[in-house]
Amino acid sequence: MSYIEVNGLRKSFVVRKKREKGKLFREKDTVEALKGVSFSVEKGELVGYIGPNGAGKSTTVKILSGILTPDGGEALVGGRVPWRERREYVKHIGVVFGQRSQLWWDVPIIDSFSLLKDIYRIPSAEYEKRLGELKEALGLNDIMRTPLRLLSLGQRMRAELCGSLLHRPELLFLDEPTIGLDAVSKIALRDFLKWENSEHGTTIMLTTHDMEDIAALCSRVMVLGHGQKLFDGRLPDLLEKFDTVRTVNVKYGAAVPSVSFPEGVSASWTDNELSLTYSPAKLPTAQLLLLLQEAGPISEMTLQPENIDHLIAAMYKEMDL
Amino acid sequence: MDTFKLYIRSIGMLLKGHLQYPASFVMQTVAQLVMEGGEMLAVILLVDRFERVNEWTGGDLFFFFGMMSVSFYITEFFGRGVTGDFPSMVRTGKLDTLLLRPRTIFVQVLCSGTDPRRITCIAVGVAALAVGSRMSGVVWTFAKVLALVESVCMSCMLILGLFLIEAVFCIHSVKSVELVNALTYGGRSACQYPIDIYPRPLRILFSVAAPFALTMHVPAAWILGKPLYGWPAWTTFVTPLSGAVVFALMVLIFNRGMKFYRSTGS
Repeated sequence: MSYIEVNGLRKSFVVRKKREKGKLFREKDTVEALKGVSFSVEKGELVGYIGPNGAGKSTTVKILSGILTPDGGEALVGGRVPWRERREYVKHIGVVFGQRSQLWWDVPIIDSFSLLKDIYRIPSAEYEKRLGELKEALGLNDIMRTPLRLLSLGQRMRAELCGSLLHRPELLFLDEPTIGLDAVSKIALRDFLKWENSEHGTTIMLTTHDMEDIAALCSRVMVLGHGQKLFDGRLPDLLEKFDTVRTVNVKYGAAVPSVSFPEGVSASWTDNELSLTYSPAKLPTAQLLLLLQEAGPISEMTLQPENIDHLIAAMYKEMDL
Repeated sequence: MDTFKLYIRSIGMLLKGHLQYPASFVMQTVAQLVMEGGEMLAVILLVDRFERVNEWTGGDLFFFFGMMSVSFYITEFFGRGVTGDFPSMVRTGKLDTLLLRPRTIFVQVLCSGTDPRRITCIAVGVAALAVGSRMSGVVWTFAKVLALVESVCMSCMLILGLFLIEAVFCIHSVKSVELVNALTYGGRSACQYPIDIYPRPLRILFSVAAPFALTMHVPAAWILGKPLYGWPAWTTFVTPLSGAVVFALMVLIFNRGMKFYRSTGS
């Protein structure tokens, strides 16, 4: 059996709307956040969980972390049902919300950590060892005595990660951990997650809108939309499914007469440079190359896959999300 | 014991946090003093004008006032998580993060709030108790001290229990808590005077629904040597336990409410 087993998970919320004029009661709307989601995750996997806003990502995380009870379906994490015996269950998991702090705002972060030690009843020796290790890996040494409120967003995120990993959880949930971080902080965060995953075999489930996170970290990606699982597999496979257009930039050594391309290719010229997009499915690449070469002496040429964000947007559109 | 240690450490840390803003802390503490001093002034004026209310003398009235101030503000000092911060915890989602930790929610809520500014209110209450017992010529015996301590403890539990009603309403995302405020803040205002000056409906309200009369007035009257309704001495030590009963009941209901929260929250 897999480490995480989720079967037909369902959850709906009742949303009360503002009362309309002339009506006695407010209308209620039932929103189905999850309509029967199933998946399984092996121990030590690093899984990305993506989908547009409101797809049900956070709801899944909340159910699997024991905050919410689902309306139907089953879930087992390490042999435990998250929403039963909450107190026993949460000892084995860690959760980081990108937009919600779990440390204490006005006190130095070292004090927060030492209170977490008491909350999780971590033995002192074990705590010292783990804290030393995390401090090193997350580069927290210089800010241990700084109150949380004085830290930059990147530093705060690293502190949050440290706090949620002190008790050595087997499973770590990250809800948009890189939101609002600069490039350096993002890379540092990703490196740390990779380290934690390989060093301690911590299973990590990550929701994000940043495709770079997925590309850099996750061996596997799940796409959620309208409360249903739409894709589950490797990121390259996902991209291949929707990666239909490629961009080519060609620079010629001399001025060339304009080339006439078959339908489906959009090209634009600036001086000697040509930029075009084509779909390999419609126009074989070999044929395109031939066309380009016949036109004149090529001095430079680049070929690039489409930007991942555009791809995902195209995919959401195609899946009607 | 472990939980108690956690509570002490949490509150200690929050106090440290409060003291990060010393100027604001001092100003707010002084403001509290003015506020509670004003309340006391009302009693002083009353005593000055009427000398006695029913058979209660001025000293007795100070004593009753002190009982309420000390109990109410100790509760606010140490139980701010329940008496003040809970609604915002629900609104901002902090409650969700508490659910991620291997401790009971009630303990964690209690651990996440303190209001040290109330220290001056407690001081005013202690002063009123001292002045009142002096004026009424109370001779302190061990039993009387015990009765006072029990009464304050039980009243704190009662007040905490009443605030938990509000918390339960919050869990069910009901915003209008005016009805509950009538019991908590209303109870504080009303029951700083002895219960027997009130008409019957109010007496029933504050003896049965929110039994301040049982946790406070029965022992206070006995300490002052004028047993309420002429009840025997042992009632002094038994009736305050109603505070613990209300508290236990409300903690139970609160825990049930948290189950509901986990099945409906978003």
